[in-house]
Amino acid sequence: MNLSVENLSKVFINDGNVHTVLSGVNFTVQEGQFVTLLGPSGCGKTTLLTIIAGFQSATEGSVLLNGQQVSTPGPDRGFVFQNYALFPWMTVRENILYPMKRRKMPRQQREQRLQELLTMAQLEGKEGLYPQQLSGGMKQRTAFIRALAGSPEVLLMDEPLGAVDFQMRQILQEELESIWLKDQTTVLMVTHDVDEAIYLSDRVIVMSAQQGNILEDLAIKLHRPRNRNGEKYIKYKVHLMNLLKKALHKEPEAPGKELELCLA
Amino acid sequence: MEPVENKARIYNSRNSRLMRETFMGSMGYKKLFYRAITIASFLAVWQLAANYYNSEFMMPSPWTTMVTFAAILHDPEVIANLLLTLKRVLTGFCYALLIGIPLGFLMGYSKIAMQLFDPLIDSLRQVPIMAWVPLTIVWFGLGDGPTVFLIAFAGVFPIIMNTIAGVQNISKDYYHAARSMGAKPWSVFAHVIVPASLPDILIGSRVAIGLGWMSVI
Ligand SMILES: Nc1ncnc2c1ncn2[C@@H]1O[C@H](COP(=O)(O)OP(=O)(O)OP(=O)(O)O)[C@@H](O)[C@H]1O
Ligand SMILES: [Mg+2]
Repeated sequence: MNLSVENLSKVFINDGNVHTVLSGVNFTVQEGQFVTLLGPSGCGKTTLLTIIAGFQSATEGSVLLNGQQVSTPGPDRGFVFQNYALFPWMTVRENILYPMKRRKMPRQQREQRLQELLTMAQLEGKEGLYPQQLSGGMKQRTAFIRALAGSPEVLLMDEPLGAVDFQMRQILQEELESIWLKDQTTVLMVTHDVDEAIYLSDRVIVMSAQQGNILEDLAIKLHRPRNRNGEKYIKYKVHLMNLLKKALHKEPEAPGKELELCLA
Repeated sequence: MEPVENKARIYNSRNSRLMRETFMGSMGYKKLFYRAITIASFLAVWQLAANYYNSEFMMPSPWTTMVTFAAILHDPEVIANLLLTLKRVLTGFCYALLIGIPLGFLMGYSKIAMQLFDPLIDSLRQVPIMAWVPLTIVWFGLGDGPTVFLIAFAGVFPIIMNTIAGVQNISKDYYHAARSMGAKPWSVFAHVIVPASLPDILIGSRVAIGLGWMSVI
């Protein structure tokens, strides 16, 4: 598996106003990595990720998966939505089986994979429930294993933990990590949370608020599971926070944003 | 696909409770109690009014009405007419569904279809239903035809409108999710569009049946 973004640009034109969100973005994600796109709010992370997913088109440049250009959504790129987008008319079981049926997986194999995934996400016994009967964390895990069920080559996640509170977020990060360690699918995740990026990633790509310029491509060399209070961990954190502050500095001051970064 | 009730039950949209109550017939005791109070007060007011007018012709008492009603129910001719009306309403309703749902799906999904059909439907909708009576008699002759047509005609609009609303309200995320799990257009239709708009379609159908009964004449 090899995902590369080449010279990607995205320009929005609204009422004659030209708004360049991304300009000449380049990076490559290798097999088995957990990569995070980190950047201030509004810098174009979602735009970039949805272009990779094929939900919208790039103005210029291309996305290559194993050397092949991709421009429409496909099962080779799984997607976890911020609001999960689980189908409320299907049970947990039907939701998870959905991508496997679309890929024409034989029934026996499907059932086996379903059980594996349910075990992995500690959702055994919940398969008959509908999404609205699940807790936030259970929804998140269901969304995660649903996206894994079709065995995508790469999993794209847009702030998958954005909708939960601080403490829940840490717990979910740990759960997500443990599922990922068992599955080892390549992940490209978007977040604006520094701590989350360091806790989960092998590699953090920092985007600036200006046209999605890549400020730094940082490898996180820490053993898993990571100790959030470890000396090196804190060093990474301070470094990235300073970088993000710099990323924001040229922009007009947005109240609350700095605070958010400090709390993270 | 599963049976419809099964799906209707699990919806958490604004319509769900309504549907659960009316379609599933699962009325709680509390509900039954309130309903009984409504009926009792209605009968009481009726009885008072009958006492006041004291005339069988202007305001018969509830009891007399009930006795007469029971007598009518034994009259084979009345039963036959009732069945005939029922048949007409159901036939008209089926036509309304057969035309309204596909049209609604099409118009809700495709902007082009919307632009093509919307002006036509919007103008047809404005014509008072009675204005169609002479025309339908010319078209279908006397008999079932005109009535069935009018019932279908009255019912088709709420079905179209609600189906459109149902389809348009589907979050883009569901389409994206389906497609990034490998769904082909058919699966997007069968597993996303249909179940997601079903609550609205059922609401439209309820309105359509109601309008159908009212346009029986
Ligand atoms: N459809 C669109 N039309 C016009 N502008 C858009 C559109 N979508 C996004 N933008 C603009 O692109 C910029 C980047 O948006 P995007 O959603 O990608 O940011 P983000 O990095 O994901 O932010 P956040 O962390 O808050 O989610 C924003 O300034 C936004 O206003
Ligand atoms: Mg975003």
